[in-house]
Amino acid sequence: MSAGRILVVDDDPQIRRAMRTTLTARGYEVADVRTGEEALDELRSSNYDLVLLDMNMPGIGGLETCRLIRSGSEIAVIVLTVSNSESDKVDALDAGADDYVTKPFSTPELLARIRATLRRLTHSPDQTQLSQLEGRGVSIDLASRQVNVRGRASRLTAKEFDVLSYLIARPNKTISHRELLQAVWGPDYGDELEYLRVFINRLRKKIELDPSKPQFLVTDAWAGYRFQLPQS
Amino acid sequence: MAIKDHPPAAARQVNFRNSAQWLFGVAGRVLLALGWVAAVTFVSSRLIPVNELTAGFLYLVAILLIATGAGMIESTIASFVAMLCFNYYFLPPVGTLTISDPRNWVALFAFLATSLTASQLSARAKRRTMDAIDRQNEMEKLYSLSRALLLRDPTRPIAKQVVEEIARVFEFTGVALYERGSAETYRAGFEDLPAIDSELREAVIRSQASRDENRALLITPIRLGREPIASLAVRGGSLSDAALQSLVNLVAIWLERAFSEQAVNRAEVARRSEELKSTLLDAIAHEFKTPLTSIKAATTDLLSDPAAKLDARERELISIADESADRLATLVTEAIQLARIEGGKFQLQRSIHLPGSLVSGALRKTKPLTNGRNVNVSVPENLPLVSVDAELIQMVIAHLIDNALKYSPQHTPISVGARENGNHVIVYVVDQGVGISEEEQSQIFEKFYRGSKQRHLKGTGMGLSIAREIVRAHGEELSVRSKPGEGSEFSFSLPVADGSSAL
Repeated sequence: MSAGRILVVDDDPQIRRAMRTTLTARGYEVADVRTGEEALDELRSSNYDLVLLDMNMPGIGGLETCRLIRSGSEIAVIVLTVSNSESDKVDALDAGADDYVTKPFSTPELLARIRATLRRLTHSPDQTQLSQLEGRGVSIDLASRQVNVRGRASRLTAKEFDVLSYLIARPNKTISHRELLQAVWGPDYGDELEYLRVFINRLRKKIELDPSKPQFLVTDAWAGYRFQLPQS
Repeated sequence: MAIKDHPPAAARQVNFRNSAQWLFGVAGRVLLALGWVAAVTFVSSRLIPVNELTAGFLYLVAILLIATGAGMIESTIASFVAMLCFNYYFLPPVGTLTISDPRNWVALFAFLATSLTASQLSARAKRRTMDAIDRQNEMEKLYSLSRALLLRDPTRPIAKQVVEEIARVFEFTGVALYERGSAETYRAGFEDLPAIDSELREAVIRSQASRDENRALLITPIRLGREPIASLAVRGGSLSDAALQSLVNLVAIWLERAFSEQAVNRAEVARRSEELKSTLLDAIAHEFKTPLTSIKAATTDLLSDPAAKLDARERELISIADESADRLATLVTEAIQLARIEGGKFQLQRSIHLPGSLVSGALRKTKPLTNGRNVNVSVPENLPLVSVDAELIQMVIAHLIDNALKYSPQHTPISVGARENGNHVIVYVVDQGVGISEEEQSQIFEKFYRGSKQRHLKGTGMGLSIAREIVRAHGEELSVRSKPGEGSEFSFSLPVADGSSAL
């Protein structure tokens, strides 16, 4: 059985070759394309679990491709780029990426990132008690990953869902950055505050009535984040 | 921007008229006025003989007309001549300048007083009208100057256009403007005012206006606030104080505008070249790192996969390729960092950070290097927040950690930490390595410098140089304390953020 279906999107043939060889050897099913446009076509016609997406490509480029993928799908996306700057990372995460790997990377590092991204939160029993949440014009259905804000429906990506359900399972309690990162991404994480910043913002855009004045996803400055249950 | 040292009200008019010409004009008008008096005398005594009362009235009418048409001097002279004529031709005994009846003396002096007062009043009214017309003309000129400057050609220097428009609108024969900042003089008008440069400079330095009636020349400083920024010389035209003041203000405003436009242009050029540099460096990074990515993917895959079953020789050779790829990647990264950072022309993206997260971020970056080494981390929880470019500061700490690891034996620990010191947080990295001699301490921050006994070590020799540039960009300094044989401590300070902003 395959460990997952991965689509590699990179304009460099050698990188595509290397990715195909290494990932196939680890049990993944791998397909590859050269551009963002081809990736979008491919994603429309076949099912994948994860996209490895190069940022610097001719045509529409990685960032725009990421946005377009995200507008129609909740598939996991890991961005590959040569830039190590914070703002580029945040741009990629903002565009909907789940994680970010800097070129050149080592194969074990990439494999760990793929595992972390495909990794799903192990559901704790108390979570089922809160599978439905209604209040103040917002309804969140954890079972179907559906969110409804004033009649505007949106779906959560897997990682967004994990972040949210981890917080909802521990309502009204401040969860530290490190705890949240390690719970959702894995034990190798803990300092990637920018991930949380971006994911919390993405979630706020989906579940808050006014994302600039959050009533559910509350920041506890310098400590962490907290899910505030609607009092009704 | 006040103009001082101007003559008081009596000489309000900055008049550059030729005095001989003026005298000639007055003489002509006096003769004309006397002609009028003669005509009245002839008509009243010979043509239609009238009594002395009617004659007196006719003279008064003539004086009033002269006062209105010519001026004070003309009408005053005419008044005295008319009085003499009135006495000679009409007051008995007629034909003499003597008066028999004392009542006629009263009539004569009443006539003189009336005609002098009337001529004064009417001349004053006329002068006011003329002044008002002059002011109106000046205002119209100032208005047309401002309008012309609003429609200026944006491709030419503003100062040049300002002088040209002043010369054209005010019809000065020569205009010169000296700009203090650029030390350049702009000229316009058919007179070149060639030898005026030193006087213009003088006017700016002394911040004093001067007036030279002989050369019909006026020089005035132009101030912005209290600071003289330029001086203006005009020649061959008339201008009231008020108009001159407005003109000076107008020029000051336009020069200020020119300065700010220049500053914007310079910033724009700098920004564009920075953008180009950045794009170029990104392209280079991409071109170098793409092939390195496939090399690294291949080597690390083989080295990490137990299923690959490498023998010792294969493992050794692949490790060599892998380490060389790492080295090349570091070299490219650091060369690009240095190129970006050098010259201090890069933008800091400051925000508020916990010192602890900066240190842990740097440790994350150096994780592959610190494997198997003893790293003591000591960052107190209650340190204040600092305002820094986190990415760059993490890079600094990472370079220092890398440096400490390289120059100390495998079995010795290194310490990384932070402590509070006034309104700064000090970050330090300490090793128990070979240390640095005093002569070498000044050289280690030089680009490509490597420790004298450690030339075999991996590295680019750019790390400390990059680190120092980044710390300096934050307005702080990176320093070293070291004793050969005992180890080294590198430390730098970071500014504490004012107020507290939330994450």
